Parts: sequence; structure tokens; C-alpha cells
Amino acid sequence: MSDNFSLFDPDKARGPRKGPDVGKDVTSDLLGSKDQSTPVGVSVLVSQIKAALSQAFPRRVSVVGEISNFKRHGSGHLYFRLKDAQASIDVAMFRPAASKLKFSPTDGLEVVIDGRIDVYDVRGQLQLYSERMTPKGAGALELAFRQLKDKLESEGLFDPQIKKPIPRFPRAIAVVTSPTGAAIRDIRRTLARRWPAATVYLVGVLVQGEGAAEQIAQAVTLLDASAEDYQIDTIIVARGGGSIEDLWAFNEEPVALAIYAAETPVISGVGHEVDVTIADMVADLRAPTPTGAAELAVPDGDEVSAQISQLNARLSRRAGDQLARARAAIEAIGRSVVFKDPSAGLRTQTQRIDELGYKLRASVRERLSSARSALSEPANRLAALHPATLAERAAARLDRARSSLAWVLRGRTKRSAGQLSELSSKLAEAHPRHRLKMARQKVASLGRQMEAMSYRSVLARGFSVTRLAGGDILRSIQQVRPGLKVRTELSDGRFDSLVEGGSDAKQRNSRTKADKPRSASQGGLFDD
Amino acid sequence: MARSKKTFAEALEQLERIVAEVESGEVSLEDSIDKYAEGVELIKQCQTILDAAEKKIQLLAKGKASQLEAAGELPETDRQ
Repeated sequence: MSDNFSLFDPDKARGPRKGPDVGKDVTSDLLGSKDQSTPVGVSVLVSQIKAALSQAFPRRVSVVGEISNFKRHGSGHLYFRLKDAQASIDVAMFRPAASKLKFSPTDGLEVVIDGRIDVYDVRGQLQLYSERMTPKGAGALELAFRQLKDKLESEGLFDPQIKKPIPRFPRAIAVVTSPTGAAIRDIRRTLARRWPAATVYLVGVLVQGEGAAEQIAQAVTLLDASAEDYQIDTIIVARGGGSIEDLWAFNEEPVALAIYAAETPVISGVGHEVDVTIADMVADLRAPTPTGAAELAVPDGDEVSAQISQLNARLSRRAGDQLARARAAIEAIGRSVVFKDPSAGLRTQTQRIDELGYKLRASVRERLSSARSALSEPANRLAALHPATLAERAAARLDRARSSLAWVLRGRTKRSAGQLSELSSKLAEAHPRHRLKMARQKVASLGRQMEAMSYRSVLARGFSVTRLAGGDILRSIQQVRPGLKVRTELSDGRFDSLVEGGSDAKQRNSRTKADKPRSASQGGLFDD
Repeated sequence: MARSKKTFAEALEQLERIVAEVESGEVSLEDSIDKYAEGVELIKQCQTILDAAEKKIQLLAKGKASQLEAAGELPETDRQ
């Protein structure tokens, strides 16, 4: 091509135009064919247009316009039209460039495209190949931020209801931040000052640039998985101050998702007070700075210490009060006679017991002797009531009565009748059988009393008296049969029982064939 | 939990409960002596934890099997 063909060369534009004159037919110049009637192929035409274009537009162009008909292919390439009020042009943005976009292009978005002009051969179509796309007005980052924020918010990642409470006394805290830099320094100092009891772990990551978001996300995920092993109760995600570009990693989706998925509570402390990143919005608690995050993660040790001192004081005071009252009560009791002279009561009691014992023995002796003497009289009387004696006396009396009677009859018949009846009744009273019966009864009852008194002591020693139903005392095994009801008297009461079985001395020593074989359960109480 | 003794939170909570009980006056003398002893023990445990001073920061890094492993200590630099 000839030099005089630079349509948009500013230098040349100023000078006299050597280019084609308006109106002059330059077709032949363009096509390089002197023969106007010879047609060229389409591809020739198109390639010549391409060449002309690349000469006219050797460098990148920068174009502003509105996106329409935006399509993102599965290949990752973007295709859309860029338009203004009068014209539009096709734009293609291939994957390598498209993947670097921080925001999502949409129809209607006004953008600045930096790229190259070319012709798409296949269709002979003018095409702008975009190498860079930035939103006009707000920056790409602000737009991307807004887009991700809206998306995650609608998905519920920022919901206050799902935010977890921060443990008050964490056993260990894990920090995700750069191992160098101000953030970890400030966090370390704050934790050491407030709550040195907690163990501190650090997973060092890049906090800006390529791959930073992935590292931060992975650190959070791994810490959450190992939290139990290390007793990590809280995670802090932190970065010192910087521009929106510096903090950009904390606005990226992988970080947001990792924080959202973590079961361990996460505190974010990114940038300065005014910087709010998406990580801050997803976190369970946001702190304005890394130092703030450390302050929220642990309590103030001094305050807690003071609280414990106070509890200590309350406990001592209260327990001390109770103890003092109890002590006073005990001392009062101690001053009483019971404690001053403890054996006083004992002496009194001992003396009393001795007295009672003496009285008891005395009364028993007395009872015995009175019983004896009570017995002696009837015994004497019994002897006196011996039938022979009585008969003698009665006979004598009878004689006397007869003679009296005879005498009285000799003299006074009426009076003697009365006297006779009087004497008759006296005789009846004196009848030996009557008096004997009375005496016997008295003796029997006294005898029983005596018996009772005498064998009580034996019972007290552990012996018992067993009686049959009629009251007869059981003395021999011969009186016993299985099924017999017996009553057993102990020193302080009695009980009834049913005989199951038994054996006498002879049976125990020699079992004959006639004996029924007994099983153990059928054995009597005294079987060998 | 792997730890046999209480966490600080548990110890503090129990201590506050004991003090409240003893202060309520509804505890017999024997019980309050027991509780006092228990309270004193808890106070000692809490103070032991408070006095612990972990000065180091342990580094963790991704190791084999994509798990976190101990990776030494973060050095303290005087001039930061």
C-alpha cells in the first residue's frame, strides 16, 4: 500500500493531504487491480479490508459503550454488542481475559473496553476483541463487591439468626492472617495482655494478591476441621488496613463460603473501622480492626480476676457468718451444766440405777418370802384340813353336837331346832372337802406365781417353753407329730408354730430301712 | 471432653452457684461447710487458669494428608 493512505495519522492529517481526493475513484488503488472489470474473491476482499484496518488501527483502542445481547459461552468466552445512541459493534472477550474480570458483565452496564479492532473473516464482520473491560463510573471492584454482596445476602449468608455466639473463655484461639505485618503483632499483644491463659495458633497466609483468597479460605476450612483436636474455640480472620484492592481477597466468594461453612465461631477484623468486607458480613462477629477482634475473642483478665475475688469474699463472709453463729451456739451449750460436769448426770443415773436395782431385788425377795409365808399358812391349813384330822374333829364336833343336842333336846326342843340348823350350817362350812378345794385353789395359784417367777430367769437365758394346744408343756419328742400346733413362750412373749418334722435321739443315730428317704427340702429342723 | 478438670467457664459457673446457695441461707451447717470447701477449691482452679501465661504463638500449616500440623512457633520480634 502506498504511504499516502494513512487515514487517521494525526501528523499527516495536518499537512496537505496526499491521500485520495474526495470524489476520486480509488477503487483500483485499493484493490490493486488496474482492470476494474475483474472481480476478486470474497476472502481476498475481506483480507484486504483486514489489512487496511490494521494499518488504520495499529494500536489498541479504548471504547466506551453499553453492553447488550450479552452471552457467556460454556467455553468461557464472552460475546456481546457494545453500543451507543447511533451505532453498535460486536465485541468478543476470550476466556483468558474474561476470567480476570472481577465483576459480572450484564446488559445495560456501561463499560470501557480496551482492545483491538479486527474483522472476523468468516462473516466479514467488524469485531472488537476486548482485552480489558472496566465498568464506567464505579470501579470494577465496587461493582464486583456489590454483585457478590447482593448474591450472598439473597442466599442468606449474612442472616443474623445463624451467627454463632462467641465463647467467653476460649481454651485456644486460631488466627488466619499474614505471619508478618501489623495484624498478628497487634493481636498477639492484645491477647497476651487480656487473657494469656488461652493458647494461640496461627495459620500464615497471603492476605492480598493472586491466590490469597484461596489460602484464606483453606486455612479457615482446615482449622474448623481440626478445631476439636486443638481445642480451638474461636477463629480470627484478620488483616491490617489498606485500600480496597489490598483488602480485595476478603471480598471474594471462596472466603465467604469458607467462613459460612465453619462450625467454629469466626471473628473478622479486616482493615480499619470504615472498611467493611464481605468476610466481615459473613463472620459471626465483626470487629473494626485486628486488635478489636482480639478484644472480642477473650474477656478482660483483670475483670474476671476481680469477679473471682468478689465471689471469694462473699463465700468467706457468708460461711464465716454461719460458722460464727454455730460457734456461739456451741459455746453456749458448752457453758451449760451438761458439758461442764458431764459425769454429773451419769452419777445421778448410776445412783438411781443402783437404787432401783436394790429396790427390785428387795421387792423380789419380799415377794418370794411373802409368797412363801402366804403358802405356809395354807400349807398349814391344808395339813390341818387333812381328811383324817378333819374327820376326827368333825367326829368330835359331831359328838359334842350330839350331846348338846341331846342335852338341849332333853331341855329345850324349839331352841334346839334353831341351834341344830345353825350347827348344821357350821358343819357344812367346816366340811373338809369344801375347805380343801379352796385351799387347793389358793395353793395352785400361788404355786403358779412361784413357778412363773422361778423360771423367768431361765427363759432370760435363752431357753424357751413350748406347750401343746391344751397347755401341757412339751417335754418329749413322743408328744410331737408333724402338723401339730404348738405355742412357744420366750422371756418376753410367745409365738405359735406348726411342727414340720423332727426326730428323737434314737432315730438320729440309726436309720432303719423302714424310714422314708427324705429329700433335703423335706428334712426337719434337727436332721443331721 | 478430654480434660478431666473443668473448663474455666464451668468452674466459674459452679462457683457462682455455690456462693448463691450459701448466701441464700437455706443450707444446713454441714452442707455449707462442704460447699465452702468446694468453693475454695474452684477458686483455686480458676486462679490457676488465670495465672497460666501462654506466651508463644504456635504455627500450624497444611501437612501430609491435607491436615493441619504443628509447624513451630511464631518468633517474637522486638521491633515491629
